[in-house]
Amino acid sequence: MSRWGMVIDLDRCTGCGACMAACHQENNLPAAGPEESSRDRAFHWLRLLPEVSGSGAEVKVRYVPQPCVHCDDPPCVRVCPVHATYLSEEGIVAQIYSRCIGCRYCMAACPYNAKVFNWYEPEWPGDLKRSTNPDVSLRPKGVVEKCTFCHHRVVKAREETRAAGREMRDGDVTPACAESCPAGAIVFGDLDDPTSRVSEMTRNPRAFRLLADLGTKPKVYYLAERD
Amino acid sequence: MTEADEIQGTTAGLEFEDQDLLRSIEDSGVAFRVVSTLLGLVILTAWVIFGRQILLGLGVTGLNQPVAWGFYIVNFVFFIGISHAGTLISAILRLSQAEWRRPITRMAEVITVVVLAIGAFHPVLDLGRPDRALNIFTAGRLQSPLLWDVSSISAYFTASTVYLYIPMIPDIALLRDRGVRPRWLYTFLAWGWQGTPRQQAVLERAVSILMVLVIPIAISVHTVISYIFAMTLQPGWHSTIFGPYFVVGAIFSGIAALMMVMIVMRRVFHLERYLKQVHFDYLSRLLLIMSLLWIYFTFSEYLTAFFGNEPSEMRVFYYKITGPYAPFFWSMVAANFLVPVGILSFRRTRTIPGIFIASASVVVGMWLERLNIVVPSLANPRLPLPTGYYIPSLVEWVMFAGGFATFMLGFVIFARFFPLISVWEIQEGRKLSVAETTERLEGYLPDPVPSSAAQSATERG
Amino acid sequence: MERQPEPKWIYGLQIASVSMIWVFVLSISLWILHLLRLSRRLNDVPSASIGISIVAIPVFLAGAAILTYVFVGLRRGRTAPSESIIEPEEG
Repeated sequence: MSRWGMVIDLDRCTGCGACMAACHQENNLPAAGPEESSRDRAFHWLRLLPEVSGSGAEVKVRYVPQPCVHCDDPPCVRVCPVHATYLSEEGIVAQIYSRCIGCRYCMAACPYNAKVFNWYEPEWPGDLKRSTNPDVSLRPKGVVEKCTFCHHRVVKAREETRAAGREMRDGDVTPACAESCPAGAIVFGDLDDPTSRVSEMTRNPRAFRLLADLGTKPKVYYLAERD
Repeated sequence: MTEADEIQGTTAGLEFEDQDLLRSIEDSGVAFRVVSTLLGLVILTAWVIFGRQILLGLGVTGLNQPVAWGFYIVNFVFFIGISHAGTLISAILRLSQAEWRRPITRMAEVITVVVLAIGAFHPVLDLGRPDRALNIFTAGRLQSPLLWDVSSISAYFTASTVYLYIPMIPDIALLRDRGVRPRWLYTFLAWGWQGTPRQQAVLERAVSILMVLVIPIAISVHTVISYIFAMTLQPGWHSTIFGPYFVVGAIFSGIAALMMVMIVMRRVFHLERYLKQVHFDYLSRLLLIMSLLWIYFTFSEYLTAFFGNEPSEMRVFYYKITGPYAPFFWSMVAANFLVPVGILSFRRTRTIPGIFIASASVVVGMWLERLNIVVPSLANPRLPLPTGYYIPSLVEWVMFAGGFATFMLGFVIFARFFPLISVWEIQEGRKLSVAETTERLEGYLPDPVPSSAAQSATERG
Repeated sequence: MERQPEPKWIYGLQIASVSMIWVFVLSISLWILHLLRLSRRLNDVPSASIGISIVAIPVFLAGAAILTYVFVGLRRGRTAPSESIIEPEEG
C-alpha cells in the first residue's frame, strides 16, 4: 500500500500560481465573485502563502504553495462528529461531502486552515458548468471541502495498474498541481517506497514541514531555498 | 386531621396567605396575551429568517474563511452558561440548607430548563446542513468533543427537568385542588399528591438524591463545552484552565441572569413580600465572589499566554489587548469586574436598582467574554495568512433576538401555568424552619462543660 | 375536605408518560452503545467512548429511576385511613 506525499522545492518555485489555477480547473472549484472574495470567502484547495522576510529596504516577499498537508495525525479527523473526514489507508485526509453536516469544527481545528466551506450553492456563470471535470463531484452548499491529493487520479491509476496486472508504484499518479508546475517544483509520490523520488527528497537537509512541532506529521514537505 | 392535611386544607380554600403567588395563574389578564403575542412575533420572524438561511446557505451570515464560527457558537456558549443559574445554584443552596433559598429555587430551575433548550438548539443554527443533523445520532463518533456535548447537555436537560418537576408536585396539586383550569393538566401532573407524610418522605428523598446528582452533571456540561475549544491546537484555545474557567464564567453569568429575572418578576407580579432585600443581598455577595474568581482566572489565563511569548499565542493576545478586539476585551473587563465590584462592594449602592445594573453588566460582559474567546483565535491563523475579521450580519442579530424572545416567552408561559415561587416550600419554611434553624444553630455552639471536667478546671484555677 | 378521584384516562396517561421516560432513557442508552460499537469499527480512541458511556448511561437511568420511584411512592402513599397516619416527618 502506498503512502502518498508531496515535496515542494522552494528553490525551483517561481510563485507563478499555475498550481493554484490547475487545482481550480481540475477539482471543479467555483470562482467566488468579487463580492464574496472581498468578504474573505475566496476558495482555494491550494493557496499561495505569502512569506515576508527582511525589513526596511531589504523586504523580500515570496509565495509558498500550500495544499492540505495531509497529516498522519490529523486534528480535523479527531474532532469530526460524524466521520465525514477521515484518514484513508493511503494517507489521504478525505472528506465525504454527502455525510458532512457543515458544523465547521474541522475548519476551526485545522492549524493549517486547509479546509474551505461552501457558503452558498456554488455558481457556474454562463455554460462553465459544462466544462467541469466529470471525474470530480460537484459539492452542494453547506459542506466542507478540501484538497484530496487528486484522489480521483489515484483511483484511476489504481484501476489502470490492476488492468495491466501489476502493483501500483511510485510515479503512477501525478496530481494536477504537480503536473502543471512549469518549474517542476512539485513532486508527488510514495513516501513508503525508500527508492521513490519524494522519499529521496525528504532526506535532503533542506527538507522541512509546516508547523512540524505541532506533531501532526504532515506529508507535504518543503525544500528550503539555497542561500 | 393531620398536619399535612392542614397545610393542604388551609390553602385549598379561595383565600390564603400566599395567594399573591398564584395571581399570575388565576387571573392572567390581557397582559399575558399581549406579551406572548409580541414575543411570538419576534420568534416567528427568527424562524422565517432561519428558513431563509437554510434555503440560501450560511453565506447569509457574516462568517468567512478564517472566522468560521461566529455569533451562533458565541450564543451557544453564552446561553448554556446562563442555564447554570438555575439547577446548580438551587442544588447548592438546598444542599447547604440555606434557608433563604426558598423563594429563589423555582425561578432558577425554570431559567435552566428554558435557556438550556435554547442553547442546545444553537449548534443546529450553525450547521451548514441542518437537514443532516440526525447524522449525529446514526453516525456519531464519541471521540469528537461535539458528541460529548450532545450527551452531557441531554443528561443535564433531563436531570434539570426532573429537578424542576419533582419539587413542583405539591404546588401542582394545590392548583388542582383549587380547581384552576385546565384541570386535567394539573390532575395529570399532580401524580395523585395528597400531602400525606409518606408522600412527603418520598418527595424529600427524591429531591435530596437529585440535588446531589445534578451538581456534577451541571459542572460537566460547561467543562465539556470548553473542551470544544480546548481540545483543538489553536492558540488561545488550547489551554488546561478552560474547563474551570468556563464553569466559573457560567455560574457567574447564571447568578446575574437569575437576579435580573428575579427583579423583573418582583416588579411585575408584586412579589416584594417574598423577594426581599436580604435575598438580593446574599445573591449579590455570591455574584461578587464569582466576579473576583472570574478576574483571577482571566488574569491567570492571559498572563500564561503573555509570559510564554509564543508567536502564534501573542498574535491572538495582542489582537485582544491592543488590536481590533481591544474595545470588546476592555469593556468585558469593565463589565465583569469593575462595574459589579464597584457597585456590590458598598452597602450604599447594593440596592435593588444597583444590583440590577451590576447583573445586567455581568450578563453583557460574559457575552463579550464568549465573543473574545471564539473569534480572535479563529481570526489569527498560525500560518502567515491575513488576519481575519468578522462582522455579524443582520440575520445573526435577528436570531440572537429570537433566542432572547424564546427565553422570555418560555418564562412567561411557565409563569402563566405554574407558581414562580414554591408555595409549599414557603409554607414549610414558615412552619418549620425557625425551629429547625434554632436547633441547628444550637448544634454549632460548643457543648456545655461536662461536670468532671468543670471540676478539674476549677481545681487548676 | 372532598377530593374528586382521578379519572381513569388521566391515570392511563400518567402510566404512559412514565413509560415514555423509560423508552427515552433506554433508547439513549442504546444509542450510546451503538456509538460505542461504531467507534470500535472506525478504530477511534476507545477510552473517550468508554468513558462517556460509563458516565452517561447510569446518569440517564438514575433520572428515570428517581421519577419512577416518586411516581410509585406517591401512589402508594395516598390517603390511607386517617388513623394510620402518624406524625409527619419534620423538615
